[in-house]
Amino acid sequence: MEIGFIKKLISVIATNDNEQITRISDDELIRRYTQTRDEASFDEIVNRYSDRIYGFALRITRNASDAEEVFQEVFLTLAKKLDMFRGESKFSSWLYRVTVNASYMYLRSQKKHENNISLENYSPYDEKGTLMGRIMYKDWSSRPDIIIFNKEALIIIEKAINELPESYRTVFHLSDIEGLSNEEVSEILEISIPAVKSRLHRARLFLRDKLSDYFHEWRK
Amino acid sequence: MFICKDVVENIMDYIDSELDLETLKELEKHTGDCPECMAFVSTYRRMLEITGKLKDKPFVTPEIRNRLKILLESKLKPV
Repeated sequence: MEIGFIKKLISVIATNDNEQITRISDDELIRRYTQTRDEASFDEIVNRYSDRIYGFALRITRNASDAEEVFQEVFLTLAKKLDMFRGESKFSSWLYRVTVNASYMYLRSQKKHENNISLENYSPYDEKGTLMGRIMYKDWSSRPDIIIFNKEALIIIEKAINELPESYRTVFHLSDIEGLSNEEVSEILEISIPAVKSRLHRARLFLRDKLSDYFHEWRK
Repeated sequence: MFICKDVVENIMDYIDSELDLETLKELEKHTGDCPECMAFVSTYRRMLEITGKLKDKPFVTPEIRNRLKILLESKLKPV
């Protein structure tokens, strides 16, 4: 009876601890881990960021096994060197930066080099600057949500994003999928804000075209 | 006077409501008269709705998480 009560009490305390740790700020988790190597704090950091880090690594490498290697390297680096985080930027920005570096290092070690094609001249208009005869016949904007947001459309868009050259893919991922500001993306990728905006603009034009082709074909 | 190219090149600032009033008026005047640009803006907005659905997609399975745990335990073991 007494043992049962104690077990129940321990379980209640553990549950309360789990609930509370999810409310702790990143900075406090970092402080706890760097000062006392508190495993629960590190686990919570992994819980919060693992999908974002894996997703970003997958976007850069475009390969699940490579992404997992990078994912492991990022958290191993974090476990060893979290005290190197000085709090000068947001923790999430710092972590994305670590992921970019780990991804490039991994791809270099595997000799997986991607030719970075420029999309700077990519545009839907003709040499006279007109869209005449290029957009309307493929207009899919009034299609019902059930068609637009179907699983196949999401697969198509994922595929189209992965067709973007790497420098556009990373900007698009951080800006439009992760929802980061131009300033944050600029800091993470170490490029200027005009470069972020320019790459995002061309990436979106490219993806709009890909989706138009898809929905146009789908109607046939 | 705005042409289609100007709509395309200003679309990001238009969507983000960052155009100055004069440019905004020019753009909306052109778009109102140009069905191609109207379709361009509509499909651009829809594209952003679709890509917005990709946020918060879960990637890390319990197996991936477990392999990370094993790796960390082996690499961080006190000597």
